[in-house]
Amino acid sequence: MSSARTLGLTLGCATVLLAGSLATAEEPLHVRIDALVAARAEVPLAPPADDAEFCRRVHLDLVGRVPTVVETRTFLADTSADKRTKLVDRLLASAEHPRHLAESLHVELMERRGDDEHWQRFLRSSFERNRPWDDFVRAILKPTPPQTKSDDSDESPAESPDVGAAFFLTSRLVSEGAMAPVDVPGLTRDVGRLLAGVDLQCAQCHDHLTVDDYSQRDFQGLHVVFENVKTVRGDTPGVSEGLMQQSKPFQSVFTGEPMQTGPFVPGGREITIPTFEKGEEYVVAPDRKTRSPGVPRFSPLTELALGLTAPDNDLFAKNAVNRIWFDMLGRGLVEPLDLHHADNPPSHPELLDLLAREFVAHDFDARWLRRELMLTATYQRTSRRPADAKPPPETSYAVALEKRLSAEQLLRSALIVTGPAEATVEQIDARLQDESTAALKKAFLKAFANPPKEPEIDFEPTVAAALTFLNDKTFLRLLEPTDGHLVDRLVKSDDAILADELYLAVLSRLPDDEERAIVTTHLAKHSDDRPNACSQLAWALMSSTEFLVNH
Amino acid sequence: MHSRLCTPADHALSRRRVLGAFAGGAAGLGLGPLVRPAVAEDLKANDKQVLLVWLDGGMSQLESWDPKPNTRFGGPYRAIDTSVPGLRVSELMPKVATRMQHLSVVRSMKTEDPNHSSGVPKILRGHPKNRGVTYPYFGSAVARLMGPGPSGLPPYVWVKPGSGGFVSKHAGFLGAKYGALALGDGKPPNNLLRPDTIDSDADRERNELRELFERRYRRTHRPGWSEANTHVYDVARTLMKNVELFDESKLDPQDVERYGRHHLGRHLLLARRVLEAGVRFVQVTSYGWDTHGDNFNAHARRVPGLDQPLAAVLDDLHDRGMLENVLVVVMAEFGRTPRVNGSVGRDHWPNAWSLATGGCGIVPGQVVGATNDDGTDVAGTPYDIGSLFHTWFHALGIDSRTAEYHNGTQPLPVAHDDMQPIRELLA
Repeated sequence: MSSARTLGLTLGCATVLLAGSLATAEEPLHVRIDALVAARAEVPLAPPADDAEFCRRVHLDLVGRVPTVVETRTFLADTSADKRTKLVDRLLASAEHPRHLAESLHVELMERRGDDEHWQRFLRSSFERNRPWDDFVRAILKPTPPQTKSDDSDESPAESPDVGAAFFLTSRLVSEGAMAPVDVPGLTRDVGRLLAGVDLQCAQCHDHLTVDDYSQRDFQGLHVVFENVKTVRGDTPGVSEGLMQQSKPFQSVFTGEPMQTGPFVPGGREITIPTFEKGEEYVVAPDRKTRSPGVPRFSPLTELALGLTAPDNDLFAKNAVNRIWFDMLGRGLVEPLDLHHADNPPSHPELLDLLAREFVAHDFDARWLRRELMLTATYQRTSRRPADAKPPPETSYAVALEKRLSAEQLLRSALIVTGPAEATVEQIDARLQDESTAALKKAFLKAFANPPKEPEIDFEPTVAAALTFLNDKTFLRLLEPTDGHLVDRLVKSDDAILADELYLAVLSRLPDDEERAIVTTHLAKHSDDRPNACSQLAWALMSSTEFLVNH
Repeated sequence: MHSRLCTPADHALSRRRVLGAFAGGAAGLGLGPLVRPAVAEDLKANDKQVLLVWLDGGMSQLESWDPKPNTRFGGPYRAIDTSVPGLRVSELMPKVATRMQHLSVVRSMKTEDPNHSSGVPKILRGHPKNRGVTYPYFGSAVARLMGPGPSGLPPYVWVKPGSGGFVSKHAGFLGAKYGALALGDGKPPNNLLRPDTIDSDADRERNELRELFERRYRRTHRPGWSEANTHVYDVARTLMKNVELFDESKLDPQDVERYGRHHLGRHLLLARRVLEAGVRFVQVTSYGWDTHGDNFNAHARRVPGLDQPLAAVLDDLHDRGMLENVLVVVMAEFGRTPRVNGSVGRDHWPNAWSLATGGCGIVPGQVVGATNDDGTDVAGTPYDIGSLFHTWFHALGIDSRTAEYHNGTQPLPVAHDDMQPIRELLA
C-alpha cells in the first residue's frame, strides 16, 4: 500500500507542474480542477448551463429540492455578475443544507436499513456544524457509549448528539431470524466499501481473484475488529468490545495455508495487539451481576477509527473526495465507487490526488470542497448536447451528467411543484411532517427508493413508480385544482402566460416556442375541460425524465 | 390458441429486449450484470415459458411420486397405475396419474440442506458453487437470461397466497429489476387500476403528452435514462391493459370447477392465463406442506388439492399446444423422512426425494433414478438440484455449460459448474 501511495503523490505533483501553464498552485481549487479536466477532455467542452438549469441543479444538490417559482424568477431576474456564487453561498449557509446532507448521507450510509431518532440527531448536528469528515467517521466507528435512562439523574447533562452514531454499527449487527446469524462479513464489507472505497467481499475466503490489491488478509484484518463488537441494550444505540488478546488464524480455501492477522486498517497498517498484566486488561471490568460487558483497555475500534482517518491514509481521503465528486458531478473519478485499486485507475489521477490532498489540507472540510466543486466550469456546464449528436464519453465531463434523485428529493420537489406558489420552505417542511402526507411519503419511498442494502447510484425507474404516477390517488390528488395550488393557478391564468407558469413551476425553466405551442394546442383541444387539460400537462411533465432526474 | 406468443409479427427482436432491461420490480438500463451478448442472440426467437409449482415446506415423495406401499415406512396409501406403463404414483393423485404421459419423475433427488430457511433459497437458486454472491432464484435467472418476450409483460410473475408486490430479493446479484411481480392471493399489483376519474381517452392523452415531452428531452440528453423511464411506463400500461387477468368474474365457470376453488386451484388457473398472456416465467406457491404431525391425513387433504389443478393445467397447456413450449416443474425444498415420527408425521428429508417435470421438450413418461426399498436413500446415481437446473436451462435453449452472467468483472456460470444435465430427460 505504501509504495502505491508514494507513487500517487509523485504523479500528482508532476501533473500540477505540467498544468502550471494553465493554472498555478496559488489559484483557487476550482480553477485548478477545470484546468485538469480540460487537459484530458479530448472533445469539445459544452457551454455553461443557462441560469435556469444552474439554479435547479444547485438547489437539488445543496438543499435537496427544486427551487420555488419565486426563487427561480428572482434568480433569473438578478443581473449581478456574481449571482451564481452568491446563490451557492446562500444555499450552503441555509438551514436546509444540513438537512439535505443528513437525508442524503443517511441513504448513502444506511442504504434503507431503517432509521433511528438518535442517529438522525447525530447526522443533523454533525452537518449543522460542518463537522470535519474524519471526525464524523471516527464518531461512527468508535461511538460514544450508549446512554440509559437509569444513568440519568434530574440534572443530567443533555444527551450528547453523538450517541446516535452507533446506529451505523448496531443496525448491521442485528440477527435476521433464527437461521440468519449476525452478518459480520456484511458489516466488514460495508465499512470497506463506504468509508475506504474498497469492496473486500470477494476476498473473504481467498485473495481477490481479479483485484491484486485485495488480499484475504485485508478482509480478515477488518473482520476481526467487528467480530469483537457486540450491541448493548440501552435507550440509545450502543456497542461494546470484547477482549482481544491474540491475532486470529484464517486460511485460504484454495491453498489451505494457515495465516493469521490482528486488526488491519484499510489503506493503513496492522495494529499490534498489546499485552497487559493479568488484571490490567480492562479499564472497566466486566460485571456479571449487571451484565455489563466491561471496557477493555485495548480498543480495536478506536485504533481502526484513528488509523482509517489518519491524514496520511490515502484511501480514506480519496474515497471521501471521490464520493463528493460523484454527488456533484454524477460520476466518480474512480468507478465503481467502491473499487479503488491499482488496476482500476481514476479517469483523472492527478485530479483525484489534488482533491484528496487539498481536502486533507483543509481539515476534511466537506462544505468547502462542495463549494469549490460548484464553482468549477465543469460543474456549471450544460447537460444539453446538440440535438441528436453523439454523447461524449462520460469520463470527459464535457457535458454535465444527469444524477439520480432520491425519493426524498422527489417528494419534497413534488410538493413544491404542485403546491401554492408562495409556499415557504417552512410550510413545505410542515407539510412533510403532517399526518396527511404520510401515505404519499410511503408511496414515494416504495416507488423511488431501492430495496434495503442496495446503493442508490443510477436512475432506476421502476414499474411500481410508473404505476404510482399513473394511478395512485394520493399522488393524483396533488394535481387537482385545489385553491391556490398549481393546477388551480393554471386554470385561472391567461393562455398567454400559462405555459410559462407551468414550465417554471414543474421544470424550473421557461418553455421554448415549440413547447408553448404544445401547451396552447392541448388547451385549445380541451377548452371544455380546462382543469383536466391543465392537470394532464402538469402530470406529463412530472412523469418525464426531465423532472425525475437532476440534470 | 390465443397466446400472443404466436403472433409472428411480434417475434421480431424488440429494442427493449436488446437492452435487456426488464423487470417485475424495475427496469433500468444501468450497468447491471450482463449476460454475454451471444447468449442473448441465441435466445432471440425463443418463446419458451416456465410454470413452476412450488410446494413449500416439502411434499412427501411417499404420498406422491414415489409410493412404497406395504413397506416399513410406506404408509397407508396404495400405488396406482398411470397412463405410463410401469410408472405408478400414489392413489392420492388419480387425476395426474392419467396425465403422466406429459410428465417425468425424478426419484433420485439428493440435496444438502434439511432446513426450510436456507434450503428453499438453495433449491430455488439451483445451489451453485459459493462464489461470494447471492445467486438469483430460477424465475429471476430466466427473466435475465431470456427477457420478457414479446408480450411486454414482466417476465417473472409469482402467484402466492398472502401479500403481493414487487419482490426484489429473488434477483440476488442481478439486481432488483429482475425480481418477481408477486400477485398476492392472485390480486393485481398496487395501483394497477386506473381511477374512475380518468377515462381511457384521458389516459391515452396524458401518456401521449408524456411521450412527447420525453422525446424532446431525449433529443438533447443521453438517451439511456429517458429510455428506461419510457420503458417502465410501457410495462405498467401493458399490465393495465391485462387487468382482466385479475377479474375473476370473467372466468369460465367450467374452468373454475376443473381447477377447484381452493388457493392452489385458483392460482394455477391464474397461472395458465398469465402464461397465455405471454409471461415468461410463472411460479405458483402452495404453503403448508411441512407435515411434522399427522402426515397422512394432511396429505390425504393436500395432495388431491394439487392433483386436481395440476391435471387441469396439464390438459389446458396440452390442448392449446403450449406444452411444447412451457416447461413444467413441480417441486419443493426437500421431501419427507421415510421414518414416521412420534406425532405420526414425517420430517425433513433432502437425502432421497422426488420431483416431477415435463413440457418444453423434456422427454415425457420417464422415471429417472430410484430409491432403495425403504425409500431411505437413493439407489444408484443421485442428482443434486444443479443437474436439474442444467436440464431445465437446456430445455429452455440455454447452453448452461457455457452461458455466464457477468457480475461486474466476475464471470459466473448460470448453474453448478461441476454438474451436467440429465441426458435421459433431453431428447
